Amino acid sequence: MFKIFIVEDDKKLVSLLEEHLHKFEYDTRSVTDFAAVLSDFRSYDPHLVLLDINLPKYDGYYWCRQIRGLSTCPIIFISAREGKMDQVMALENGADDYLTKPFDYEIAVAKISSQLRRAYGSYAASQQTRSVTVSGLTLDVDRLYLTLNGQKVELSHTEAKILEELLTRQEQVVSRDRLLDRIWDDQSFVDDNTLNVYVTRVRKKLSGLGVQDAVQTVRGQGYRLLPNWEDEA
Amino acid sequence: MKLYLRDQAPLIALYILQLFLITLVYRLDGYRNAEVSLYAALLSSCLFAGYLLIRYWRNRTFYARLSAPSPTTEELLNNKQQTPLSLSLHRLIKGQYRRYQTELQQYKHKLDSHIQFINQWVHQMKTPVSVIHLIIQHQDKPEFTAIGDELDRLRKGLDMVLYTARLDTFEKDFYVEELDLEQVVRSVTSSQRRLFIRSRIFPVIEFERPLRITSDEKWLSFVMTQLVTNAVRYSAGEEHRQIRFRGYQSGSEAVLDIQDEGIGIPQGDLPRVFDPYFTGENGRLYQESTGMGLYLVQQICSRMGHGVEIESEEGRGTTVRIKFKLTNV
Repeated sequence: MFKIFIVEDDKKLVSLLEEHLHKFEYDTRSVTDFAAVLSDFRSYDPHLVLLDINLPKYDGYYWCRQIRGLSTCPIIFISAREGKMDQVMALENGADDYLTKPFDYEIAVAKISSQLRRAYGSYAASQQTRSVTVSGLTLDVDRLYLTLNGQKVELSHTEAKILEELLTRQEQVVSRDRLLDRIWDDQSFVDDNTLNVYVTRVRKKLSGLGVQDAVQTVRGQGYRLLPNWEDEA
Repeated sequence: MKLYLRDQAPLIALYILQLFLITLVYRLDGYRNAEVSLYAALLSSCLFAGYLLIRYWRNRTFYARLSAPSPTTEELLNNKQQTPLSLSLHRLIKGQYRRYQTELQQYKHKLDSHIQFINQWVHQMKTPVSVIHLIIQHQDKPEFTAIGDELDRLRKGLDMVLYTARLDTFEKDFYVEELDLEQVVRSVTSSQRRLFIRSRIFPVIEFERPLRITSDEKWLSFVMTQLVTNAVRYSAGEEHRQIRFRGYQSGSEAVLDIQDEGIGIPQGDLPRVFDPYFTGENGRLYQESTGMGLYLVQQICSRMGHGVEIESEEGRGTTVRIKFKLTNV
């Protein structure tokens, strides 16, 4: 299990980050005494450090240089300063990457796992293969497969994202806005119709596995997934 | 010389009067030798003229300085003459100059620390914003969406404050690199996707071919975010409207058109849209206008050497055009 050391003075932010990182099976520890960052670091011996720049007593650059004296583990800065100069300064002080506040969980996790992969080899990647299973229907989010009762269909990236959203919120209405928000980056052109087209494709993929009418349209709101299929396993 | 003569005019007048008076008194007493009188007057006049000349000579730079049209501060502080008048003038100017400099330094210092305070404050505010952002990220209830929308407004407001404060120290905060224009447009539209989705207005990005430009990504993104926010705000209300991002080459320039199908800008307001705090008719109709958006756009673009133009027709829409110098491939 990878150990992540979080040096950030906002407790709420730390607890949210830790909660999310635990879902990906990372072990975390955060600093409470900002005068003793280095001894905490030594006793915990983490694989990766998340480091805020504005800290009480000394700033993040200082601690980054101090940590670099002990270890070559990846260090990712978390900061509200989005300027190129600030980032250059961070990199010059020995950081490996830079995360700008406010950030999404996805970006934080992606940067952490890519740094871990770079530093500790490709087996780091296997840790974060995610899948969602609802009554026997399994979506492999990273490999883009959907399986039910031994049958398997391939999905596109966009289709997988829509299904992930619907499966994790089964029986709840997922708003159009949220789905559009999720699929935005994959598309060169997004409008209201784009979503209709992709939902139709998702329904087709599901019917390929023998699942009919599971994705319902809720007029004016969005879509809902009802697990009406049979789990034979 | 003129000033000197004007300054000494009463003395000269007094002297001439005195000369006449004395000659008159002697005359009335019975002394009638005009030649001797004239000779005495001539001697006395010569002495007086000599006095005037020497005095002028010794104080010539003093007078020159007084009559010259606004010399530079350094010339003003440069004194070579040692007469009492000249010295005290020099002391006076120097004293005033020092006081004025101290005051100026104080204000400069105040301004600097104010900008620093704003910088720090905005960055500190970003932490609570991030926390709220993370809390609501995986929520899909309408309340959370509404909080998210307000959070976006807060973020934009904070950015606006930050960039306005930084405008004065632009040179220190400028990182030029070669960028792909389409890439920048895409990352801006992607970061503003909530705004697009919420307003049911969608961007169309059309590039004939890749355009390489030289600019600062952060500032350029800020400029585009301002323009996108304007475009969406003034097109909202009707569905199926689009905002078109058209990139093309025109001569040696790369051009980006951001075209909306919104309410447009009244002709009378057009020449003033880039003025600070100018909100115009549309600003009065829509509440969120600060009048700073387009001003900042123009200021930032001119500092980066990009041209910016605006075309608009009421009821038909607005096109903002940014012109970049094309990077030679």
